[in-house]
Amino acid sequence: MTAVQTAPPRKRKSSLKMGLVPYLFLLPNMAIFGLFTIWPAINGFNISMYSSSNGRTFRWEGAGNYQSILTDADFWGIVRNTVIYAFAFVLLSVVIGVVLAVLVDQQRRGRTFFRSVFFIPVLISPVVVGLVWNWMLERQGGLVNTFLGWFGIPEIPWLVDNNLATIVVIAVGVWMQVGFYMLILLAGLQSIDPSVYEAARVDGANRWRQFISLTFPLLQPSILVVVVLATIHGFQAFDYIYTLTGGGPVGATTLIVQYIYENGFVSPIRYGMASAGSVLLFCAIFALTIINWMVGRKREAA
Amino acid sequence: MAKKSRITARLMLAVTAVTLLGACAPGQVEGEGGPGQEPLTVESVDPAEFKGKTLNYVYFTDGPDEQATRSLIGDFEKKFDVTVNLEVLPYKDLVTSVQARLSGGNVPDVVRLTGLTDFKADLLDLRRYLGEKYAEEFLPGPLVGAAGENDQLLAVPSDLTLNGPFVNVDMFKKAGVELPNPEDPWTWEEMIASATKVQQATGSQYAFAMDKSGHRLSTVLNQYGTTLVADGKAVLDADKATKALTPLVEMMGDNRMPRDFWLGSGSRYTGANEIFLAQDAPVYLSGNWQVGQFAANAKFEWAAAPNPCAENCGGFPGGKYMAALAEGKNPALAAEFIRFMNTAESQKTFIVAGGFLPTRKDLAEEGVAYPARQSDMDVFLKDLSRTPEVGYSANADPAFAGSATELVNAVSEVVAGKTDMPAALKKVQDKSQALVDELDR
Repeated sequence: MTAVQTAPPRKRKSSLKMGLVPYLFLLPNMAIFGLFTIWPAINGFNISMYSSSNGRTFRWEGAGNYQSILTDADFWGIVRNTVIYAFAFVLLSVVIGVVLAVLVDQQRRGRTFFRSVFFIPVLISPVVVGLVWNWMLERQGGLVNTFLGWFGIPEIPWLVDNNLATIVVIAVGVWMQVGFYMLILLAGLQSIDPSVYEAARVDGANRWRQFISLTFPLLQPSILVVVVLATIHGFQAFDYIYTLTGGGPVGATTLIVQYIYENGFVSPIRYGMASAGSVLLFCAIFALTIINWMVGRKREAA
Repeated sequence: MAKKSRITARLMLAVTAVTLLGACAPGQVEGEGGPGQEPLTVESVDPAEFKGKTLNYVYFTDGPDEQATRSLIGDFEKKFDVTVNLEVLPYKDLVTSVQARLSGGNVPDVVRLTGLTDFKADLLDLRRYLGEKYAEEFLPGPLVGAAGENDQLLAVPSDLTLNGPFVNVDMFKKAGVELPNPEDPWTWEEMIASATKVQQATGSQYAFAMDKSGHRLSTVLNQYGTTLVADGKAVLDADKATKALTPLVEMMGDNRMPRDFWLGSGSRYTGANEIFLAQDAPVYLSGNWQVGQFAANAKFEWAAAPNPCAENCGGFPGGKYMAALAEGKNPALAAEFIRFMNTAESQKTFIVAGGFLPTRKDLAEEGVAYPARQSDMDVFLKDLSRTPEVGYSANADPAFAGSATELVNAVSEVVAGKTDMPAALKKVQDKSQALVDELDR
């Protein structure tokens, strides 16, 4: 019978120490994350249970703010606008992002130049983007209508017609962000082993077949990342829309974040309603993100 | 066993979360010691005590008033041997900025405001330093918005504005249409008919322009005998409002008024002054603060006209207030500063520079000599006497600003064809009532 040997206690202590080390390195970041993300989120949820008209005297409301929001007909109109915007934004961002990524991946001459051209809008302040496009799309004297006028095209009410304004807002949003998604997809494309394409060419697959059968399936992890990020961006869109259309005409481009902003920062100020709106938005984005990941993982597994 | 311990762990987590939420109640909760009512005792402060102190004045500017304010501050600093930090903020950031400073304990001493709704609980009752009789120096109308519950004086009305129309005299002359008589105001029908005649004769793009503003729409409502809120109640009369607003919607429908301007979106200021300055409309409804701007920029002859009459004549009043924060470091100095900035001499300097109307009784009685365009300012002064008192209480009501925004949205929806006038007005009534209920609690 042989005695069972146990590990010497000193060694166990040392491995415990080693096990703790990574957590110690993570601690500062966790502290900052807790202080500036977790704590405000908890406090925001807490404030959503109160009403306040001056920002300092609070009255307990329980679920009253949530009830007010969810029974407000205008809110549901804003939800509709947001869903339309987010859906179109995600779809166009993915499609255009993939096309641009494939193009800048393939072309040889001036590749850096073109990548920069598509990426520059990401670097511009959204507020400036809104103001500049507002100036360009003004019905009278705006740059775009003046240009169209040279070809005899009558003035187009870009920011006056409900449908046109919605299209403009989506188009400007995609223009502003698509360069960022293009970079993610480009990184995905460049991680695909070139020998896969060589084998496909040997088998006689043309470029379209290669794209459908190889590029697209192999790019799916990157597309999933883009879908998740674009969903979050789409539901949180506000800054450039506020300066571009102010949410008009007649509320056609008012999205949820503007609703939250106006409750929280425009008189009469309602911090509780703004916080309740933020909590609802968080829940919606969180749920959609989880669904996206689950669908993506299922596909990957299949 | 493992299942049981998981349930226990979840229960503990829930209890911890509830405890944590309870521990982080936001700020001061009502019923836990708000500002109490104290009997009024007027403090007597020796001005020598102010020497060497510093006062922070948070201010927004309408333009030409800033230089006058700086000059008056210089005089105040010399007189009391103090320092005044003038902090000029963009108007749209003022409320949130001051609220943030209140929450953070960095309280300014004095602020310039357009209404007290967001700060009523934080303002100093100026009677404690300036006495109960001080308020009598001001016109009763502008004082309505400065009063707190129990007759407190929470601010001093520092200037007065009045909405009213302007006419392009050159276009009227060219069209051979008679100009309005300042002594005998137009009716709404006469004003629209005249403006339309001028539009047709001169080929101007529009007949009438108006700022996209709930305040300006309230002018029209008042003239038709109704208003959004009064005496803490939502009081919009749908029939009168329909009579008031239908001509505007019709004019936007047949291009006598710029429909695109009303529906056009953007976050920039929604004044139609550029339309008037470009001579695209012979009549423009705005207010007296445009006088200085037109004097400097108009390349044509223009004039202020009396407000058109319907059931009532006169305009709709607005203006600004100077208020002191109760938690400011130097309330006595703040009150003295407000008194100094609103003496007859100081107010005259300020309103003449800014093109405003006086809030002091003495100045209103003796009249104010403006360096230019006296006759136009006199038209506004004359209209003040025709303005119904209800306009002051409407403008001072905490629910006014929100209700006015709802009115603009409602008119926009009718103009866009999204709804009809009865449904739009019902929505305004409901939203105004909800605001009144919310802000009265």
